[in-house]
Amino acid sequence: MNGTSVLTKENVKKQDTNINHQESNINVLIESASQVIAPLWPISAFAARNPWAGLEKQSFEQTAAWLNKTRDIDIYPSASMILSAKSKGEIDEAFVKMGLQHWLDSHSYNIPRNVAERFCHAALKLDPLPSNLLSSLKLEKLADEFSGLNTDRIDNFLIQPISSNIANEDGERLVNILDHHVIKWCKLYLDDSQAGWTMPNRDEGFYRAWQRLIQYDPALNKIQRKSLKGWPKEAHMALKKALFALEIPNSEIQTYLEGHLLSLPGWAGMMLWRSRQSSHEHSLLTEYLAVRISMEWALLKPYLHLTNQRPEKKVSIAPLIAAWIHWGDLTIEEWSQMSAAEQNEYLSFAYSFDEKLRRKLWLEAWEQTHTDRLSQQIISKQRKIIDKKSALAQFAFCIDVRSEPFRRQLEKEGPFETIGIAGFFGLPIATSELGSDHSHSSLPVILKPQHKIKETADENELKLYQQRKQAVTSLSYTFKTMKQNVLASLLLPELSGPWLSLQMVSRSFVPRRADRFIRNLRETWLRKPNTTLSLNHVHHLEAEMPVGFSDEEKVNYARQALKMMGLTKNFSPLIVICGHSSKSTNNPYAAALECGACGGAAGGFNARALATLCNLPEVRKELSSEGIEIPEDTVFVAAEHKTTVDELHWIYVPELSEAAQEAFDRIEAIMPKVSRNANAERLAQLPNFKKELKNPKAEAHRFAEDWSEIRPEWGLARNAAFIIGQRELTQDCDLEGRAFLHNYDWNQDESGDLLANIIAGPGTVSQWINLQYYASTVAPHYYGSGNKATQTVTAGLGVMQGNASDLLAGLPWQSVMQSDHEVYHSPLRLLIVIQAPSGYVKRLLNNDSVFREKVQNGWVRLASVDPDGRWVNW
Amino acid sequence: MLGSLSSSSLLSLFFIMLVISGLSGLLFLHPRIPLSFVRIHIGIVALPSLVSLLALTNNSGNRGDGFWYLDSLAWLMVFFVLTIGLIIQRFSVRYLMGDRSYRKYFTLFTFTTGAASITCLSADLRLMVISWGATLVGLTLLIRLNRAWKVASEAAKVSGRLFILSWFSLLFAIIWLFQVTGQWQLSLILTNESLAQLGAWERTGVNLLIVLAVIIPAAQWPFQRWLIESVVAPTPVSAIMHAGLVNAGGIMLARFSPLFNGDIASIILLILASFSVLIGYGISLVQVDYKRQLVGSTIGQMGFMFIQCALGAYVAAIIHLILHGLFKATLFLQAGSAVRRFEVSTPVNERSSYLWIMAGRTLALVIGIAYWLMAPLEGYQLISALILGWSLSVSWTQLVAFGKGRIGRIVGLSFLGGAAIVYFIIHNLFYEWLRTTVFQSVQPPMSVVIIVVCLLLFGIAMGTWVARNRSSVSFAILYLWLVRLGEAKPKLVESHPNYLKQYLSQGGNR
Repeated sequence: MNGTSVLTKENVKKQDTNINHQESNINVLIESASQVIAPLWPISAFAARNPWAGLEKQSFEQTAAWLNKTRDIDIYPSASMILSAKSKGEIDEAFVKMGLQHWLDSHSYNIPRNVAERFCHAALKLDPLPSNLLSSLKLEKLADEFSGLNTDRIDNFLIQPISSNIANEDGERLVNILDHHVIKWCKLYLDDSQAGWTMPNRDEGFYRAWQRLIQYDPALNKIQRKSLKGWPKEAHMALKKALFALEIPNSEIQTYLEGHLLSLPGWAGMMLWRSRQSSHEHSLLTEYLAVRISMEWALLKPYLHLTNQRPEKKVSIAPLIAAWIHWGDLTIEEWSQMSAAEQNEYLSFAYSFDEKLRRKLWLEAWEQTHTDRLSQQIISKQRKIIDKKSALAQFAFCIDVRSEPFRRQLEKEGPFETIGIAGFFGLPIATSELGSDHSHSSLPVILKPQHKIKETADENELKLYQQRKQAVTSLSYTFKTMKQNVLASLLLPELSGPWLSLQMVSRSFVPRRADRFIRNLRETWLRKPNTTLSLNHVHHLEAEMPVGFSDEEKVNYARQALKMMGLTKNFSPLIVICGHSSKSTNNPYAAALECGACGGAAGGFNARALATLCNLPEVRKELSSEGIEIPEDTVFVAAEHKTTVDELHWIYVPELSEAAQEAFDRIEAIMPKVSRNANAERLAQLPNFKKELKNPKAEAHRFAEDWSEIRPEWGLARNAAFIIGQRELTQDCDLEGRAFLHNYDWNQDESGDLLANIIAGPGTVSQWINLQYYASTVAPHYYGSGNKATQTVTAGLGVMQGNASDLLAGLPWQSVMQSDHEVYHSPLRLLIVIQAPSGYVKRLLNNDSVFREKVQNGWVRLASVDPDGRWVNW
Repeated sequence: MLGSLSSSSLLSLFFIMLVISGLSGLLFLHPRIPLSFVRIHIGIVALPSLVSLLALTNNSGNRGDGFWYLDSLAWLMVFFVLTIGLIIQRFSVRYLMGDRSYRKYFTLFTFTTGAASITCLSADLRLMVISWGATLVGLTLLIRLNRAWKVASEAAKVSGRLFILSWFSLLFAIIWLFQVTGQWQLSLILTNESLAQLGAWERTGVNLLIVLAVIIPAAQWPFQRWLIESVVAPTPVSAIMHAGLVNAGGIMLARFSPLFNGDIASIILLILASFSVLIGYGISLVQVDYKRQLVGSTIGQMGFMFIQCALGAYVAAIIHLILHGLFKATLFLQAGSAVRRFEVSTPVNERSSYLWIMAGRTLALVIGIAYWLMAPLEGYQLISALILGWSLSVSWTQLVAFGKGRIGRIVGLSFLGGAAIVYFIIHNLFYEWLRTTVFQSVQPPMSVVIIVVCLLLFGIAMGTWVARNRSSVSFAILYLWLVRLGEAKPKLVESHPNYLKQYLSQGGNR
């Protein structure tokens, strides 16, 4: 890494014999190296994760080149993706030409411009070079005659683990064997009580448990076991010993560690996440590296004499010559007549105008086309902001791209105003459901919760409820206990087989009815009592987090949320705070379809908390003294937008005023139509055999409830823009569910704080979501999770492919692909559009260096619409 | 009218339907046929399954004509295999949507289950060997369907090699039988006169070949590797593998029972199977991957099925293999639900429940002994009683003794009662169905039964010992061995599914 390796060298210079110092030294190196991976959390709380979060100090282009060099990973869209987007008209070729001119202008080369242009234009068609040309003997001869192209030298070979260059007697690369071992140890250690027998000595920590077990591991041979016997008891000592034995020079240690972390970024990321969760595991990543590199040394030991043979990569000349012949219209004779210097020029040019660059130009053109069309759509259709007519009801939706089509359909049906805001509504809370000890951090993963909100109920009812709930869980627990008992496990199929097959048959042939029956049965049995939220502050000395809010905090959070929504006057009689949730059956990625702003869970809890806060008389009184006058007959209610079926479910409706009741009834009346239209629009995109849907609602429910459904909904696929501005800006546009929408009125934000908050919070969340989809699409094998049909859930934490693999971090193949042949998600970097005067945007860029970096380094795109309705690209 | 259908016309009807479903599968391969044809295909595939159900309920004690078995066992197995196949194909319609081998998958699947159903029906050894071979070929092809993925094609190779060994072993066994008896039809071979022609060592030789042929597809130790490494196959393929094809051995042994009974080969099978029960159970205990736990469990369950066969309890073995098949298919198909979502509470062992636990144990003991005394001379009854009693004790402890409050205990008791009633009803139903199929079973010597009981008790003792000596070296070694047995070889592991990169570069706008 360019940015961080400077740090390394400085560290190395200050070598010290002091052991403590050395320990901190290696810790610093590990800390810096860990920037190349991102923490990974369990799949049950799958939330957007930007795989390049630690790399934003470099440009996208540099990162792409570096990833290509270290791991042979390509993060530009593939040629076939680009060509298919082009054929669908998503890319305007004029932009490709402009990009090319720009590139030609900014690079120096010594061949005629028209020759260069012709070559580039032909090459930009992205056809592969014909294979008969590449394999022709003549070409080979020409290439042989030529030697030594002056290009950048193949530098550091330590960017990859040494074991990746060495194969054993069976031709298996040692790094694969190493990965195999490391995966095994990781999953056994991290297991979330899936196994009947857990790993021995697990509580002593990863490294210690490994160190005690490895000497008996039959998966290693005798010599290997012996060599690791008596290996240091401390992880950092072991790491140093291994690095020393592998003769890694001090200056290269960080690079070497980075290479190892990138070999299994999922498992390493999980270790990184765990190390931040509790203090007793804080050095887990060091332990991971110690295990990994110690094992590498043990595997490499017999081959160590070979490691001096550094692999030599040479730029192969033949494809470059072939490129000139094929695209540059040169004949072999013409080529042979050129002088050596001339040939060199031509080759250097072809080398620098390589395939990556060509696809980069295409990606940029694709993005520019998208920007261009969006700007035209918005500019041509924007409404003048006239005096707002009072709406019957106001709805606050999450910024999630799936809200947009639903909001559009809702607004069509009546005088309703909709507002976009991040779905945790600015409440930094951890939620705890009725009768559960578990609490979920219901806010973006970049933030830490500060309050705990519990769902509570009448004590007697709660007790009965818990007994009923326990009865249900005891059934599955009994199943597990019997499975883990040698004799009982033999009877288990005969006992449970009839029941399971009943379920299997009904779920297969009447999926909707079966699922509904099972769900109703469960709900009728559980009969969840009416609940309230513990909003009032309760002080627990021992608890890390206070329960509830203090009076002041209640007002603060309510005010902040209202300001974020731009809702400080013109209140309607009914204000609906909408979280969102998704429903899918038998889907390990269910959490990926939930609210990203709520840490991969349903957003109803937060919506309910906010609505309750805003209804509190004391909060309203305090707000009105600050000038936020909420009329007496205005009532806040909470609901959940079910994204898989596009329905609105009420979750908190207090006593309504007359005006509010009227609005409520109106909403109830139009909701079936809204659902129908929203579903029809959405289902047209999902792969299905039925061409015409008579009953979109029923079909949407089938998607949600069928246990064999592989794509219950598209989630956030095809997301491409984040529009921060008034709803009037986009109200008449069909944004195709591709845009995050956040309300923002620059007139009410003189200081620019609101904008800064939106960019730092929701802006980061949507950028992460966007890059996660991007990465899972362009490099599905490395950043995605592969085919859902061949996954296995492991350790209760995540999924692996096939027999074993890295812990897969991104979205599955089916979530971004229409089919094995056709991409669904368009890999475009997020376009952030801010509706504000340019001065606001400048100020934002000046004050927020992190955001500036993201824009400058190409991790997001930025545009603004100024008060005169002019579009500015930044 | 249907009631009067003779078995031979049912058989012809069945074959017509089977051929039609095969043709529908072939038709689907044609690129001009729209993908939505798959829904019609599912309807067609249901036909042979329905005919077999008709034949099963309509069975009037016909035992077949020497070329075909037409007894209730045959029809039951046909119905079982085809119905599981139908359910899994129905599941795959949505589950594999968009897969590049979508068409090929349904064709192969129909072909494989069809061939398996013919195997169940055939009474002629030549036909049995051929159709069984076709089933194995189909299964291997299903595993290697995505051969762009290196590990999938490797797994298919591993499975294919073992299947070939198994198949040739069966082939040699029947050729040997033909050499001695001059018959290809099983019913003629298994007459007393023909069997008398077999010398003792010849009989053992044939039996050993049959044992080899059946334990490989059932993934018994030491041939478990193929099942462990074929976790790479798509979930529905694993489902049919674990539900329908691993247990073919049980039926073959049931058919060969007169030849097999009391032979030394049955003792060898018993030992291998008991060992497999322990290993499979151990693998499912130490593994943390959901599918791998299921694989371990299948190995153990198949071992148990062979123990039942070796002890002459063929009906019990058939019941076990069918219910296990349904059980495992469901667990595989719902593998996507294996992610735990915020469920934490585990019942705590309260002091007050101690009395309840003791009551449960006493009850279990009484019921176990009573069950044994119902037929104390049958070797399998003792094992059955042991398992029944033990399971009762375990489930009682969990459901009743640890039940929370009155509600918890009442619910626990009713679950227990309900499960027991259904268990007995189902068992009676099966015994009723299979009554007409006569198995010749010779009681094994009691010493053998005792050995099996001891082995099972050893497994329990092991578990208890482990719970107390978690940090001992011997546990570490045992643990690591079990992990190793359950893991695939490095060659069959890829850190990232690199074939997807290829898919992207080939993809494009088709």
